[in-house]
Amino acid sequence: MNAMTPTIAAGATVTELAPTTRIVLRLADPGGVGIALGVPLSERIGSRATNGARSALCLGPDEWLIEAPETEAATLGAMIADLAARTAISAVEVSDREITWRIEGPAVLELLAAGCPRNLAGMPVGEGARTIFDSVQIVLTREAEDRFHLTVWRSFAPHVRAILDLALRELASGL
Amino acid sequence: MTSYRLPNRGRVDHARPVKFTVDGKSYQGLAGDTLASALLANGVHLMGRSFKYHRPRGVVSAGSDEPNALFGTRRGPGRFEPNTRATLQELRAGLEATSQNRWPSLAFDMGAINDNLGSLFSAGFYYKTFMWPRAFWDRVYEPVIRNAAGLGVSPTEHDADTYASRFAHTDVLIVGSGPAGLAAALAAGRAGASVMLVDENAEPGGTLLSEPSVVIDGKPAWDWLAQALAELAGLPNVTVMTRTTAIGYYHQNLVGLCQRLTDHLDTPPEGAPRERMWKVRAKEVVLAQGALEKPLVFDGNDRPGVILAGAAQTYLHRYGVKVGDRPAIVTAHDSAWYAAFDLAEAGAKPAVIVDVRASVDPALTDRARALGIETLTGRTVTGTSGRLRVKSLRVNRMENGKAGAPRDVACDAVLMCGGWTPCLHLFSHTQGKLAWNEAAQCYLPGTKTEAVQIAGAGRGLWGIAAALEDGAKAGALAAKDAGSEAEAPAFTVSADRIGSGVTLRELPTDRDPGKAKAFIDFQNDVTAKDIRLAVREGMRSIEHVKRYTTNGMATDQGKMSNVNGLMIAADALGKAPPQVGLTTFRPPYSPTTFGAFAGYHKDATFEVTRKTPIDPWAEANGAVFEPVALWRRAWYFPKPGEDMHAAVSRECRGARASVGIFDASTLGKIEVVGPDAVTFMERMYTNPWAKLGVGRCRYGLLLGEDGFIRDDGVIGRLAEDRFHVTTTTGGAARVLNMMEDYLQTEWPDLQVWLTSTTEQWATIALQGPNARLLLAPFVPDVDLSAEAFPHMAVIETTVAGFPARLFRVSFTGELGFEINVPARHGRALWETLFEAGKAYDITPYGTEAMHVMRAEKGYIIVGQDTDGTLTPDDANLNWAIGKAKPDFVGKRSLTRPDMVAKGRKQLVGLLTDDPKVVLEEGAQIVADPSQPRPMTMLGHVTSSYWSDALGRSIAMAVVVDGRDRDGETLHVPMPDGSIPAKVVKGTVFLDPENSRLSA
Repeated sequence: MNAMTPTIAAGATVTELAPTTRIVLRLADPGGVGIALGVPLSERIGSRATNGARSALCLGPDEWLIEAPETEAATLGAMIADLAARTAISAVEVSDREITWRIEGPAVLELLAAGCPRNLAGMPVGEGARTIFDSVQIVLTREAEDRFHLTVWRSFAPHVRAILDLALRELASGL
Repeated sequence: MTSYRLPNRGRVDHARPVKFTVDGKSYQGLAGDTLASALLANGVHLMGRSFKYHRPRGVVSAGSDEPNALFGTRRGPGRFEPNTRATLQELRAGLEATSQNRWPSLAFDMGAINDNLGSLFSAGFYYKTFMWPRAFWDRVYEPVIRNAAGLGVSPTEHDADTYASRFAHTDVLIVGSGPAGLAAALAAGRAGASVMLVDENAEPGGTLLSEPSVVIDGKPAWDWLAQALAELAGLPNVTVMTRTTAIGYYHQNLVGLCQRLTDHLDTPPEGAPRERMWKVRAKEVVLAQGALEKPLVFDGNDRPGVILAGAAQTYLHRYGVKVGDRPAIVTAHDSAWYAAFDLAEAGAKPAVIVDVRASVDPALTDRARALGIETLTGRTVTGTSGRLRVKSLRVNRMENGKAGAPRDVACDAVLMCGGWTPCLHLFSHTQGKLAWNEAAQCYLPGTKTEAVQIAGAGRGLWGIAAALEDGAKAGALAAKDAGSEAEAPAFTVSADRIGSGVTLRELPTDRDPGKAKAFIDFQNDVTAKDIRLAVREGMRSIEHVKRYTTNGMATDQGKMSNVNGLMIAADALGKAPPQVGLTTFRPPYSPTTFGAFAGYHKDATFEVTRKTPIDPWAEANGAVFEPVALWRRAWYFPKPGEDMHAAVSRECRGARASVGIFDASTLGKIEVVGPDAVTFMERMYTNPWAKLGVGRCRYGLLLGEDGFIRDDGVIGRLAEDRFHVTTTTGGAARVLNMMEDYLQTEWPDLQVWLTSTTEQWATIALQGPNARLLLAPFVPDVDLSAEAFPHMAVIETTVAGFPARLFRVSFTGELGFEINVPARHGRALWETLFEAGKAYDITPYGTEAMHVMRAEKGYIIVGQDTDGTLTPDDANLNWAIGKAKPDFVGKRSLTRPDMVAKGRKQLVGLLTDDPKVVLEEGAQIVADPSQPRPMTMLGHVTSSYWSDALGRSIAMAVVVDGRDRDGETLHVPMPDGSIPAKVVKGTVFLDPENSRLSA
């Protein structure tokens, strides 16, 4: 199957998204750093701040996942370099470490419940979490009531995808 | 054959006949039947043979507690299940069932000879019989026991079905959809709490399905049930799941549910899983599991046709089946009287109602008289007759506490009831304390450990009104605790048949009690006298009695037998039951398929298989793969006609002669960044890092606190504050965790952060004298000459137009480079280099050739040449220790006396006297092969290969004081003779001057 071809079944689709620029940003004190990056750093784990197409998802007490379109990669890189010169940070590019699927449809919660132990119904739109899907570490963000983005390390993706496909088949069976 | 089906009765569909076979014989049942009810409708009671004595057995219950009626069921190839309970298996078109534990047939079973040899098979017979001679254990006793153990036959074919799993979260999970569960669901559901109501039966309703005469809120029970279910169906916050067994109750209100999805369907839909395991996290759990009926314990209580009275009532009302035309009833509880009345009203002619109690409620005897049923109170029963079906019941008058003269009552079924046991299984899973209730003579839920309510018969309440009221309260309480304002609805109930009873040990008999076959545990063939024998032979604790007799150890986990066993053991011990205790129930509540536990983890998704970006190329080019941790890696690339040996030798030759290309993407990578990065590296690794220049690499050795080698890898310094750390493939996650552990718990003051970049980069190794020639044209910005870019250099640049981290490193001893590019470009770069490499006869090589080449250079592989007990000194790696460093993880352990004492195993080279012999990895090493056994082992072979470059075999081994044995000949004893081999102190077999590497 072409990786970009969406799987459609029983009210849920899984579509691989084009790559974006991703930076794992680590630092002790986020105060004021957001301005330098063009996107605020929210301090509550799971919350995500956005500015235009740029976003920063707080994944830990000192950890943010910054995402930006690849067209902004150079600008973002320069901002980070500038910041690093003044502040103790760790910025590591992980754009190629993982891939992201858009998973959407009325059955999206059932589909994700096949492998994710979190209560995703309780995740507000615009927030996210590092969690697991069938023992594999993933990052989930809720983009709309019926739409999630699932980000998974590249080599684990076939396993996660295979289980999503099994679950889609199961949902399509109506049982 | 006579039909025992009653027209216009039951909840089965009389207009929809369903055909099925048992042991090849065709039968007809109705849609809505279970296999058991359909067989009973055909007049068949004989449904199995017992486990030990091969006694003919009939169905005894109507639910998941059934011990006897177990069949093999089959739906085409790969869809066979042994030990299917006929009481749960719904009839489906074409169902193929086979009886078990019999030969040649169910009606005539040779194994029944055991029944006459009962004295040989008394309690503890395994322990007594199978002791001597010792030699018999392996070849005679164990195979015989294993063959005899278990009832059904294991499936031999690959399971063609799929299984699913799903997580769920709910405010209130209610287990059991009888009156208590329904009332709880109504209370919590109306309050707006999210509710899951689950029941293991095909249909919700529980007791109500077997008690249609009760009137609730002015409606007949079944009308009220339909209305309640309709209301629940209309509540979007309520989910009702049938065919769903709560199998286990785990910490923090996590409950496992096994949902049977297709076993009842004539034709399952495409893609449907057979079962789904739910893992439900509930804020509140309501256990409304009801009570389980106990058999009475008397000689011949296991004869086909002897059935629990409550089960007979269920067969009558749910399935429209009378279990006999002339049943005899024997009971210690009022409930069996009602079963008799219902059967009489349905047209059966009950022969007698025997009650062991001296007197009962006159309303019962009056009603029996009105129905023309003889009643006998204050009696005991002492036997049954009939071979494959009960023909008569032996009833004795009780005189001064003793059984008097007997009388035989002709019958075609016996309905027995020894009272009811509250179902405590799930509550027990929570480690909740049980409390003995003296009045009810049973255990009830006591101290709770979880957010749980127990409602209805499960806590000893009897009657439908009580269950509704209690369930409503429990549901409201649970909803409230989960955060919803709730009120307990009230119900008005009339025609409720409340009753009471007594709890007994085995019934008194006028015959020799030592010869009575009065069964307690039907599935494991445990009788009352077995329990008494166990006590006589010294068992005092109920746990010992259980294991000695196997009472309650069958797949039904003693649902019927535990309390009867306890009462008899307590009597034999002369103690009160609570002083004897109760055995522990453990998950799963009822037998659960392996498939349901495995879920999606079968076939391609059995386990995660990680693949690199270059893996598809390897697959297309004929690679043979090997698993390394969760990865699969290209092992070697055989050409047509080549075996592994030939392929690996060719790959090694190709790399050493010109250039080889290798996928090293699986190497763990950790980016260590921050102002304190170098301080952190100094503390973690044994080596010195402070003076390592930017753009340079160093071999890093990682120890545990104990001083033993944990991991290693080449580490490059990309900037003053940035290191690119590599780890072993299998060690990546472990090393990151260890580093994080130290960082967070020991050195939280350090300003340094760790990021896994294993998957950010695809890593391609080019190794061989022509590596530079091949690579240089693709690296326009870097002078790759030995002077400008020497061994152990690193630079960020572009390779073939891709951004890259280029290392000059070697794990082969050849001039080598490792090119890291963003993972998405890995395959493109590989193909570019492979195309260009054709000019140099480029050889793709796999992990085996890599292993051979590194061994030729004496490079260790952590986890193969080390086993968690080797120090750097043991592995000849003292040179990797920064002697001037004040500290690093493991440093202090290295100076402990036993770490520097003589007698440690050290890594050495081992060269066989016969250069053609390749030692076996893991083989033991001795000094003198003619010493008496057991020999003194000096160590073992850790790595061993045929070296094409050296034209001989090479090996590495850990040997006691190995370095002192330089030149000594040791021996490797193998099944076909001992192999002499010479110790060489150094493990570098090829190019010790490193001239090739530095080229």
